[in-house]
Amino acid sequence: MARLPLVTTDLDVLVRQVARRDVDAFATFYDRTRARVFGLVIRVLRDPGESAQATEDVYLHVWRHADSYDPSAGSPLAWLLTLAHRCAVDQVRSKQVSPPRHAHYRAPHLDSAARRVTLHAPRPPAVDYLSSLNDTQRNCIELAYYDGLTYSQVSQRLSANLAMVKSQMRDAIGVLRGTRDTA
Amino acid sequence: MTEPNDLDLIALATPYALHAVPETEVADIERRAAAVPADVAQAFADEVRAVRETMAVVSAATAVEPPDQLRDRLLTQVNSESVRALRPRRIKRWHILTAAAAALLIGLGALGIGLALRPAPTSTVEQVFAAPDVRTASGQMPTGGTATLVFSRKKNTGVLVMNNVPPPQPGTVYQMWLIDAKGPHSAGTMDAKAIAPSTTALLRDLGDSQTLAFTVEPPGGSPRPTSAPFATLALA
Repeated sequence: MARLPLVTTDLDVLVRQVARRDVDAFATFYDRTRARVFGLVIRVLRDPGESAQATEDVYLHVWRHADSYDPSAGSPLAWLLTLAHRCAVDQVRSKQVSPPRHAHYRAPHLDSAARRVTLHAPRPPAVDYLSSLNDTQRNCIELAYYDGLTYSQVSQRLSANLAMVKSQMRDAIGVLRGTRDTA
Repeated sequence: MTEPNDLDLIALATPYALHAVPETEVADIERRAAAVPADVAQAFADEVRAVRETMAVVSAATAVEPPDQLRDRLLTQVNSESVRALRPRRIKRWHILTAAAAALLIGLGALGIGLALRPAPTSTVEQVFAAPDVRTASGQMPTGGTATLVFSRKKNTGVLVMNNVPPPQPGTVYQMWLIDAKGPHSAGTMDAKAIAPSTTALLRDLGDSQTLAFTVEPPGGSPRPTSAPFATLALA
């Protein structure tokens, strides 16, 4: 009988429990990760109502498909934030080809008090990690990751060739990775 | 041998992981990543993974609390799906267990287990089966049939499933013992009436027990084993 690994992070355990339809584990998982998800989504979408809706969609996906999480492909947090980022970017791209949605469609579930509070919340703080990047690297990450542009759109915006944009993105990750590893 | 085409694919790993390639190119990249030699595919996957882990760390810098109402909305939705999904989910989950353990389903509700044993409430059984540290120990009984213990140290509980074990001789019972460093502790008895083609029993207070042992005892059981165990299961 194969032994289960003894060393595991809390989020790993929670995702496994969520896959077994454990509502308490889901609530704990949400509480541990909600600020990361909502913060990333609102950084991309900027609209609080749309961001709350997208965050809800992400966590419902987690609830329904937690069994699709593959520990060998990465950490639960990376899995979750990849889902959240994908969801936010899809929404940005769909707006690029269709007119903006009406206000009433943006925050269907939030009451007006909540909307007032979140609408006046300050923009997310500057990304400290990005201060270690040079200007081109930072622009590439800002435009691609936080504004949802494709690398070819980034190259047009920066008047740089495609190969340069791709290599600058890669270098940026290398620098951020170094910051992360020495943190 | 790394082809120029492969280098081109690797160069796309970071934009791909950042969701910075147009939808029309995603399928093409994934098709190419699946077709390249294993070492190139590995390099691509490693880079995608590194980008995602890095951005997960960076997300600490953009953290913002969502509105409180979102939590209530999500839990309401999740609870309603949980109730709806309970029945099919339960069957699906049991399907993936060992055949012996799955026979537990059949045994439930058809029990007449003596003295210290009670029919296992479904909720506790489910808790054991759903525990993150659930394990099984299984063995052939020398008398015939199989004994399987599905157990969780975290829940301090085991579910014993006996399949096709013949009943004890008249005037005797089977007694189960959990054995730890301090010796054996009775975990209940089964008499001839209790043994069905598939019999289950809940064993609580597993503690640090390393072994589950079975002995033949006089009716009502004994405070200490009076004979050598005829079967044991190691709870490793």
